[in-house]
Amino acid sequence: MHATTKRSRRSGIRRDETASGWLFAAPMLILLAVFLVVPVLMALWVSFSDWAGRGSPFSGDVHFVGFKNYQALLAGGGLAEQDFGTALRNNAWYVVLVVPLQTAVSLFLAVLVNRAILRGRGVFRTVFYFPSVTSSVAMTVVWLFLFSASGAVNTVLSWVGVNGPNWFNDSTGIFHNLLAAFGVSHGPEFLTGGELLGVSWWGWLSGPSVAMSAFILMAVFTTSGTFMLLFIAALQNLAGDITEAAIMDGANGWQRFWRITIPQLRPTLFTVLTLGLIGCWQVFDQVYAGTEGAPGKTTLTPAYLSYSTAFNNQQWGQGAAIAFILFVIIVVFTVLQRWILRERAVSKRHIRLYQGPRPSEEGANTETLAARRETTIKSREPRP
Amino acid sequence: MQRSIQRWFIGGAAAMAASIALSACGSGYTTSPQKNGTLTSSNTALTVMIGSSGDAETAAVKSAVADWSKASGTGATVVAASNLGQQLSQGFAARKPADVFYLSTDALAGYASNGSLLAYGDQLTNKDDFYPSLVKSFTYSGKFYCAPKDFSTLQLVINTDIWEKAGLSDSDLPTTWAQLASVSKKLTTPEHVGLGISGEYARIGSFMAQAGGSLMNDESTEATADSDANIKALDYVKDLLAAGDLKYAKDLGAGWGGEAFGKGLAAMTIEGNWITGALRADYPNVKYKVAELPAGPAGKGTLQFTNCWGIAADSPNQAAALKLVEQLTSKGEQLAFSKAFGPMPSVKSAAPEWKSANPALVPFLAAADYAKGVPAGKGSADVVTELNSKLETLVTSDPQTILGATQKNLEALAR
Amino acid sequence: MTIFAKPEQEAPSTETLDSPTNRRPQRRPRANTAAWVAYAVLITIAAIYIMPFLIQISTSFKTDAEAAANPVSLVRQTWTTEAYRELFLNSDFPTWFKNSIIVTVLVTLGRVFLASLAGYALARLRFRGRGVIFAALIGVMAVPGVVLMIPKFLVINQIGIYDSYTGMIIPLLTDAAGVFIMKNFFESIPPSVEEQARIDGAGLFRVFWSIVLPMARPALITIIILSFQGSWNELGHFIVATQDPLLTTLTKGVAGLASGQLSSGSQYPIKLAAAAIMTIPVAVMFFIFQKRIMNTSDGAVKE
Repeated sequence: MHATTKRSRRSGIRRDETASGWLFAAPMLILLAVFLVVPVLMALWVSFSDWAGRGSPFSGDVHFVGFKNYQALLAGGGLAEQDFGTALRNNAWYVVLVVPLQTAVSLFLAVLVNRAILRGRGVFRTVFYFPSVTSSVAMTVVWLFLFSASGAVNTVLSWVGVNGPNWFNDSTGIFHNLLAAFGVSHGPEFLTGGELLGVSWWGWLSGPSVAMSAFILMAVFTTSGTFMLLFIAALQNLAGDITEAAIMDGANGWQRFWRITIPQLRPTLFTVLTLGLIGCWQVFDQVYAGTEGAPGKTTLTPAYLSYSTAFNNQQWGQGAAIAFILFVIIVVFTVLQRWILRERAVSKRHIRLYQGPRPSEEGANTETLAARRETTIKSREPRP
Repeated sequence: MQRSIQRWFIGGAAAMAASIALSACGSGYTTSPQKNGTLTSSNTALTVMIGSSGDAETAAVKSAVADWSKASGTGATVVAASNLGQQLSQGFAARKPADVFYLSTDALAGYASNGSLLAYGDQLTNKDDFYPSLVKSFTYSGKFYCAPKDFSTLQLVINTDIWEKAGLSDSDLPTTWAQLASVSKKLTTPEHVGLGISGEYARIGSFMAQAGGSLMNDESTEATADSDANIKALDYVKDLLAAGDLKYAKDLGAGWGGEAFGKGLAAMTIEGNWITGALRADYPNVKYKVAELPAGPAGKGTLQFTNCWGIAADSPNQAAALKLVEQLTSKGEQLAFSKAFGPMPSVKSAAPEWKSANPALVPFLAAADYAKGVPAGKGSADVVTELNSKLETLVTSDPQTILGATQKNLEALAR
Repeated sequence: MTIFAKPEQEAPSTETLDSPTNRRPQRRPRANTAAWVAYAVLITIAAIYIMPFLIQISTSFKTDAEAAANPVSLVRQTWTTEAYRELFLNSDFPTWFKNSIIVTVLVTLGRVFLASLAGYALARLRFRGRGVIFAALIGVMAVPGVVLMIPKFLVINQIGIYDSYTGMIIPLLTDAAGVFIMKNFFESIPPSVEEQARIDGAGLFRVFWSIVLPMARPALITIIILSFQGSWNELGHFIVATQDPLLTTLTKGVAGLASGQLSSGSQYPIKLAAAAIMTIPVAVMFFIFQKRIMNTSDGAVKE
């Protein structure tokens, strides 16, 4: 009875709502179409064309060249392929190190800060979060100073008797350096012989250069605060009764942390890992403002290479092609990660986030916040 | 699912159509102003975009352009770019480029090949006054594109205080590689290194020239990177590095050779005449002298760097732009620029006056006869960047391998 | 916040600090030591997190030479505001600052309005195509920003808004995530109030403008924070959208300063001063809305 009246009222205003619905959504939709969908389609065309950067890419003297640009990058055998391979190598190491590190550090900070008896934890949270709001350009400037040859970091290292490296000018890979410490300075034949994308297997295994490591530290420094907030939110929603039961069962703290806290944090872990993965493949600001790929191209990243190939070298087709390959990489990694964590990971919480609210449940309020926080990171991530 | 994908496509197509419709009424692209031969002419004001080394340069160019503007009645404004290459690229793509701009040799090929530049060199009334080697630097596929703005060669810059403290005199000025090695050793102390240079082809290449080598032949058509001469040059540099008498500026904690020199971290450096302006501005207390680089196995040799005044093919007022460039490259203006911020005139007629005004800097000009340009073919800048990244670790690398890779990359370009 | 004061809650973290070996008996004293250890660790880490900013500010008041000689010291022998004077009197820094302010304010206002409008439509209005719009939004959110640099330049160029404020601002108004946040928020508040207003005959836009929006303050603040921070810190878009020095923003200008010109040397004090000043507005924003950003337990909806 009640339902019927409600429906009839709704249908009474439905026609009116279709028009206004579209009207309300139209401005944002048009913007998204013009500045997101159309650009991507245009760039797709450019990546298959020989447009050289003068005038419109749709003019008559621009030709379709098939996969030529992609081929130059993936199997050209020239400098383009080598640069692309180098950029991928650099960024891959960046991802491999930053993602676990920032996750671990932010979880660690969250657990530390989220202590009831702790006084002044607001202060600590503020301190840890503050680097996350500063712009990556400003952060890069500070980092260049801190890590300069006779800069603050090396000065502090010298107090404990360590002769610090010349950070942003040191192009040697940290794993190569590690091996060199054990007297291995040249790779075995089977590694130096073969190559992928113009970089030898031995080159792929170099690890990030010392310069890139400084950027890795910076990424951890600037993103851990944001992720810490995500973890704190999750920790505060933990089911206390399970923990209590575990204490009754006599599990010690360490066990409780691994067996009870971590599994309950899985959805948040999943979010943090996904966001980290997406963000870490988009390193651009630091490289643009700081190193421009130097030293020895070891801070070159696909995002920066795409930009400089197009804007500095007039190879617009190749630049666009790099962007699309990068896009594919990000999608593949995200899907892959989803797949690896699939059974348990697709939490209700996460689904709900994309499906709308359950206003009746008590956690509804944190939902909006979690969503907001995730988007905070998303909007920041291109410059972690 | 099928249907939603379909809708997506329809939406995309609609958006595409909308944007094209928008572009029709937008001011995005106008038709190409000029086809062949004749210069465009209108009363549009000119924009001059420069990559300035500092306030002195910006002010000098501004005042010269303003004078011309007043005399000619054509408006003109000077814009100092923060990132010249990127801003030019975007301007060309948007078909709204600056009319007149600084252009480096390594950017010439890229812009010339996509038709962004006006090849106006042969229409210059003062064409024959430019040094021939500079004209060659700005000739691409047979066309003389733009008027050389200024130039410099690389020479040895010596901190005279340190030099004298080490007990050296004018008679010790190195004229051979062996002598350079020995004074570098004498000048090296815990406080400073004997020779500190930027670790890149644009400095180390001068040793290649002294050994008789180069990366490409003079016409930039054939790769000659892996020649014995080049290997000999890198071996020599590597030995100096290994001995610790030569260090790269970066390893000294400086951005470039001039900074290492100015800060007293290096007793000698290899730079062009731009170092004089930097030293005057940032390190006014450093006393120095300029000496010609020593001769190598193949005699004297050095590299030469130059910029030109580019004019955009899409400029609506090329005729006025050409007049402006003629004025800016005239003997009088170039000598005025030289006085204001130190560049060396690109015209022969200015040489005598310049030499008498700058007796201490004569070595920079004296080398104009034998200095070599850097490779300027399309894509060669990338190869040089790649070479630079290898040169950073020269001390632990094999010169032959480095040059072999460069040879391969250059050959790929020549093909 | 108080609900989390249960001792069980912090117990797991305690153990991550000291050795996890059998420590079931006598919890109290141990917990105390653990708390001290936790404090020590926290303070150390906090010091590491603050140091870069302290060094930055202190160095910006040093001379070039002293910055190089004493990179760590926080007390300077010579106090000089030279770097700041240079920035404000002898460079384009004021222009950059002005541009950043203009763009950020307009983008923030625009996003708040457009995102809430679209979010409201998706949450409350029943109309054909809603599902498609929603799916499209999710799809669009998945496109990584950096990939869009070349594409954006092409479009901005094609439609003739290159090198203008329009070209800097309009493309930044796209905010699928904002629509999302607003939609989620609107769905979480009961529709009864607005339905009453509509029954009373108020027009849809009026209901939205004078009843729904005021209720949405918490979510709007979220959007404001995100938009402000996002557009203030944006770099890539400004690189591709402009070339005119008069349209340079702080991020672009300071990035140019950082990568340096040939003869300008290190000049760290100036660079650090520029970076410090560009941090101030976001820092102010941060401290104004700190409660909202940091308080993870007080839900936005509760207000």
